[in-house]
Amino acid sequence: MKFYKDHYDVVIIGGALSGLSAALQLQAKGVKDILILEKHNLPGGLATSYVRGGFEIEATLHEMMSIGPKEDRLKVGAFFDEMGVDIDWLRVPEAYRFVEPSKKIDITLHAGFRKAADEIDAQYPGWGDKVYDFFLLCNTVYDSMNVLSVTPMSKLQMLKEHEQFVKTAGYTAYEVMDTFHFPDEIKDILSAYWIYVGSPLDKLPFTIYAFLYADYLRGGSYVAKNFSHEMSMKLEKKVEENGAQIEFRQEVEKILVKNGHVTGVRTKRGDVINCDYVISGAYPNKVYSQMIEPASEVPARAIKQVNGLPLSVVPVSVMMVLDGTPEELGIKDYNIFSAEDMNMSSLWENEKSIGPYKYLTSICLNLANPGCCPEGYTQFSITALPLVNAFLDVKEEDYPALKEKIGRELIAGYERMTGIVIHDKIHEVEVSTPVTISHYVGAWKGSIYGNLHSMENHAVARLQMREEDHVIEGLEFACAAGMSGNGMGPAVTNGRAAAKFVALAMEKGGAAK
Amino acid sequence: MKVKGFFTDIGGASRVTKAREAAINNASAKADPVDPIRALADAAHPGPREYTLTKVYDASPTSKTFRFEPADGHVPVFQAGQYVNMHFQIGESVLTRAYSISSAPCEARPGKHVSFAPDENATSDKPYFEITVRKNRPYFVPDYLFEQAAVGQKFICDLPFSDFFYQPLRDSKNLMGLAGGSGITPFASMAKEIANGALDVDLTILYGSVKHTDIVCGDQLEAARAKAPDKIHIVHIMSDDEEWDGEKGFLTKELIEKYSKEDTTYFFCGPLPMFNMLTGIMKEMGVPEKRFRHEAMQQPTNVKMIPGFPEDQIGKTYKMTVVRGIAETVADAKADEPVAVSLERAGIPIDAHCRGGECGFCRAQLLAGTVFVSPLGDGRRREDKEMGWFHSCSAYPTSDIKVKIPII
Repeated sequence: MKFYKDHYDVVIIGGALSGLSAALQLQAKGVKDILILEKHNLPGGLATSYVRGGFEIEATLHEMMSIGPKEDRLKVGAFFDEMGVDIDWLRVPEAYRFVEPSKKIDITLHAGFRKAADEIDAQYPGWGDKVYDFFLLCNTVYDSMNVLSVTPMSKLQMLKEHEQFVKTAGYTAYEVMDTFHFPDEIKDILSAYWIYVGSPLDKLPFTIYAFLYADYLRGGSYVAKNFSHEMSMKLEKKVEENGAQIEFRQEVEKILVKNGHVTGVRTKRGDVINCDYVISGAYPNKVYSQMIEPASEVPARAIKQVNGLPLSVVPVSVMMVLDGTPEELGIKDYNIFSAEDMNMSSLWENEKSIGPYKYLTSICLNLANPGCCPEGYTQFSITALPLVNAFLDVKEEDYPALKEKIGRELIAGYERMTGIVIHDKIHEVEVSTPVTISHYVGAWKGSIYGNLHSMENHAVARLQMREEDHVIEGLEFACAAGMSGNGMGPAVTNGRAAAKFVALAMEKGGAAK
Repeated sequence: MKVKGFFTDIGGASRVTKAREAAINNASAKADPVDPIRALADAAHPGPREYTLTKVYDASPTSKTFRFEPADGHVPVFQAGQYVNMHFQIGESVLTRAYSISSAPCEARPGKHVSFAPDENATSDKPYFEITVRKNRPYFVPDYLFEQAAVGQKFICDLPFSDFFYQPLRDSKNLMGLAGGSGITPFASMAKEIANGALDVDLTILYGSVKHTDIVCGDQLEAARAKAPDKIHIVHIMSDDEEWDGEKGFLTKELIEKYSKEDTTYFFCGPLPMFNMLTGIMKEMGVPEKRFRHEAMQQPTNVKMIPGFPEDQIGKTYKMTVVRGIAETVADAKADEPVAVSLERAGIPIDAHCRGGECGFCRAQLLAGTVFVSPLGDGRRREDKEMGWFHSCSAYPTSDIKVKIPII
């Protein structure tokens, strides 16, 4: 039986946010002959949910960035609107609460630059205006980043139009922050999001820091009412309505290349599918080391690239349904970041271990989405983001016990730092690790955050080196290793960027033909 | 606004680009295709693989235990209570059936362990898993296993699945297994795991049978209990057995209370009517919901037992168009059988697992027509419900339908 056409213009590997967004962007540019092959039996990749004991449980999404309120949509929200993907967004009530017992810090910040600055001022009088200035700098860089990530321009033009972006590009988050001479407490408060980009702030490019803080504090963050599965399903539906073919449970094992040009893919099932372009959700690491056939078509530069750029952090989470309402449990905040001591270098060392982890983030979904559980239950998760290397030697026999240990320690750490007791209220529980992620979405080493952000792998450098990184004609990447980096918001942008490059190549006459 | 004077430097972009170039140029040009995380994920969830039937022995006068050894010597790590999804090709039909694994997880590990099989009562170092099947009425798959399956035959098996096992982060250490008939198998697995010192819980099994000759895995349960008498307690209850001098009648609130310990987690595996009865008892006893765990139950073959089932549909047959990729296949679909069964009858593979609507492996897209979805164990995601996706093991056609399923 013949399940596929003889040829497709574009095959997209992976029906996650990035792949689906790539398809939408291609369709908007008039490219219709698209096949999406997804390993799992659901769209969305990690933007998904699962059902346990009658409860639907959010799998990974903490908050969707780059959406913004209706009247001031940010990049991703505007794209979904434009594409006719109508998601029932619920606004997350606060940016975050940050708790650091050793410095007696306990503060909650809300979105809005002035508001967050005032909240800091209320606890640290006299600093509000300076914090506000700092946020505005972040915002300027953020605006530039949004333009530059899709619009190539000369250095001179960049300097003219994006001066602050250019001038801060060579510095780390701490280096820029230190020019404001904030007290340690404020510095710690303004570091809370660090784990979402998985780099200590003395190594993280300010550009990325600014993007993250400006996005969250300007637009707030959002979750979909019917979990992130709603977002994934609505994207999938639109892509299908626009004429693409989507097949689930089809893992692509090989990308076929001849004389430096993509010619097709082969699935695990054995189907060979011809195409001119491949947009890969699989990381370059996996593509260049395992997937290109024949392997001799992989240039040495590509191998050096994946070997030279380390992977970022990976999430380990304990996801729970608790007996009791948030109120009964004493949970007042949607999102708490907590650290005994915000010492970046010791936290970073800790992320190289299999726990117990010292920097935790917790999410109480009810507080953004009260309908996420039946009345009387609370959906709650605790996450740490270590480096994957700590998990490389885990044996199959030891894995169940390791999951239990991680779950127990995350819960104990949360209870210790917040004083809220939950361990005896667990109704449903699951622990996820990089192995879980690898199993469901096939991500390289269970990694979801792409490459580590650092001064040696700076977003600006990625933009500048687009040509050097592009080594096989007809092959683009739509994943966290893309130019916009990691997270579900950037996943959409990475997908769109890949689509634009494919559309551009097609206009030039079909590079692969 | 302007940044401090510090940032008069406009060379940052060039500097970071040079740094990235250097990081790449200095890296090794030797490809490293090893992904230990995926290797572990694949070992733990290898998908359908070939096993050989190596042993068949009686588990009661009407039930047999089937032992399967993996072709590659590796049985994935599983938890006592989980199930295996067996693949069969019987005549024109391609089908799957889920069976709770009746052997202990430690029996699947390389190295020595006590097997408790009748003629072994010693140690074995070959990894394997077992299922125990009762033949009590004519039924497709048990008939096949009892009458056709032969030692040496190859089977495709997919394991492990389900969250029906002791979860230390959630459950109390006092477990009570409530079982009827062949629903004993997950508890046989737990008991043997405890007897082998590999599971540290206290397990009381309340096991209802009609006559003592109906007891499934009785010898193995007793052997396991004898090895760990402090941790394993077995209470047989006969509903219709004059000779029996133990507990008689049905599983009642009084019996459950009599043998319960403080803060017990109850596990149930058995048929729907028994589940409904126990749900009532648990409520009466004031057992918190989270202390009552149950295995996914197959949809009842008698559709009249499904609440809300449109009875006027019984006996009707509809046309089902099945879309896989660009291919379309047309087949019959009976209104009183789940879509998954109609697919199997037509020889179209659908990877159904739990067959109770919960797990979602057989998730499918309704392109046209209407289906009735059983409210029993409905594990669909909210957005799937809104957008017309269904689990084919628990959806029944109420018109001609067009469905899209994965290519397998």
